[in-house]
Amino acid sequence: MLRKNKAYHLSILAMFIAVIIIQNFVPLFGYIPFGLLDLTTIHVTVVIAAIILGPKNGALIGGVWGLITFVRAFAAPTSPLAPLVFTNPVVSILPRILIGVVAGWTFIWLNKKIKQTPAMMLAAIAGTLVNTLLVLTLIYVFYRTPAVAQAYGTADVSRLGGLLLAVVGANGIPEAILAAVVAPLICTPLRRFQQRR
Amino acid sequence: MMNKLLFGRFIPGESFVHHLDPRNKLLMSFYYIGIIFLANNWSTYLCLFLFTLLAVYLSSIKMGFFIRGVRPLIWLILFTVLLQVFFTRGGKVFWSWGPIVLSQYGLVNGVYIFMRFVLIIFMSTLLTLTTPPLSLADAIEAILKPLRVVRFPVYEVALMLSIALRFVPTLMDETEKIMNAQRARGVDFGEGNLFQQMRAVVPLLIPLFVSSFNRAEDLAIAMEARGYQGGEGRSKYRILTWHYRDTFVVLAFIALTGILIWLRA
Repeated sequence: MLRKNKAYHLSILAMFIAVIIIQNFVPLFGYIPFGLLDLTTIHVTVVIAAIILGPKNGALIGGVWGLITFVRAFAAPTSPLAPLVFTNPVVSILPRILIGVVAGWTFIWLNKKIKQTPAMMLAAIAGTLVNTLLVLTLIYVFYRTPAVAQAYGTADVSRLGGLLLAVVGANGIPEAILAAVVAPLICTPLRRFQQRR
Repeated sequence: MMNKLLFGRFIPGESFVHHLDPRNKLLMSFYYIGIIFLANNWSTYLCLFLFTLLAVYLSSIKMGFFIRGVRPLIWLILFTVLLQVFFTRGGKVFWSWGPIVLSQYGLVNGVYIFMRFVLIIFMSTLLTLTTPPLSLADAIEAILKPLRVVRFPVYEVALMLSIALRFVPTLMDETEKIMNAQRARGVDFGEGNLFQQMRAVVPLLIPLFVSSFNRAEDLAIAMEARGYQGGEGRSKYRILTWHYRDTFVVLAFIALTGILIWLRA
């Protein structure tokens, strides 16, 4: 039986946050170098948190990841895109929170209708695609406004718009596949492990 | 591996910067990132550069640590700068090829963006070199406190953050151990095509999560045994105090802002 007291809840979330922090800094574990781009595996952790601990906690874990992305965009950017895009907290934090929310609710909703494994896969895909699509939309919204572009010191960023979209899109699809493959592989044993106690 | 970590690079010391209130340091670092966008000409960047050098000097930490902070990012910075250089138009055009233009504004803009990166990295390195991670967590708690009005669980989140920071090195060791154990079983990390690399992550994550669940369970029992109730009214072991020097630093930043506004084009 799952222990539902406050202390356990708090420490399990702390562990997930610790894993997210580590994934941000250890290569091969947090991100897979893939040509010029880095495919992240951090969203998998967020999806796992959302499936096992529920949408609210998934949102929190996603929020922590967003916050780290936001801070790193200034201090230690992970890709050439980061300083242009993720310095805007709406672009860096909001989509990541929604990964948790969407993946969590999709799983709860689908788990009643179809088998557990496909439910997990669909939840993972939904969560990841929401992140990608939202980042794309927000880039589209924010970086076509000259005033905002000016504030970021990149007067001509509209010219970069197409490039940004291509790069983020090229990341999103393999990341969704990764999440769909990995999430059920990890969540199934974890759920069993969690239910055993 | 640990050396690359943003947290845990703390270097103990007794300098002026070390003794500042962590809340102040955190807020001022963010404030600094804000005002850096005010700079738009040579004099303002020079001014910021001198201010940053003064801060580095006051921390009595060797310059080498800061340069080491920039080094792993240098290619990325250069790439961003090049994008800026070639996609900004205006002023005299030196060279052009299709959509790529090497212009006067582009070059100047590139230099500014390079400076901005280096300055921000220096400041954030200064923050993490002079502030222990747990003090940073305390500072974040203090800054988040106003969010209690909207029923945001500030105390819980702060405690979570402290626990997470405490367990980062532990889980890091564990990750390395698991990686080696899986290597001994023949898993190749960082080799093969994309799909094989993705598969290699699975035997890493499962044991790590299982051990995290076990650890969380132990920790919860330990917390309960010590009577953890959660939330309001817990007393603190580390109490943050605001000194005169903190006020002085705030005033220095306000003065810097004034100078920047006065000098900017």
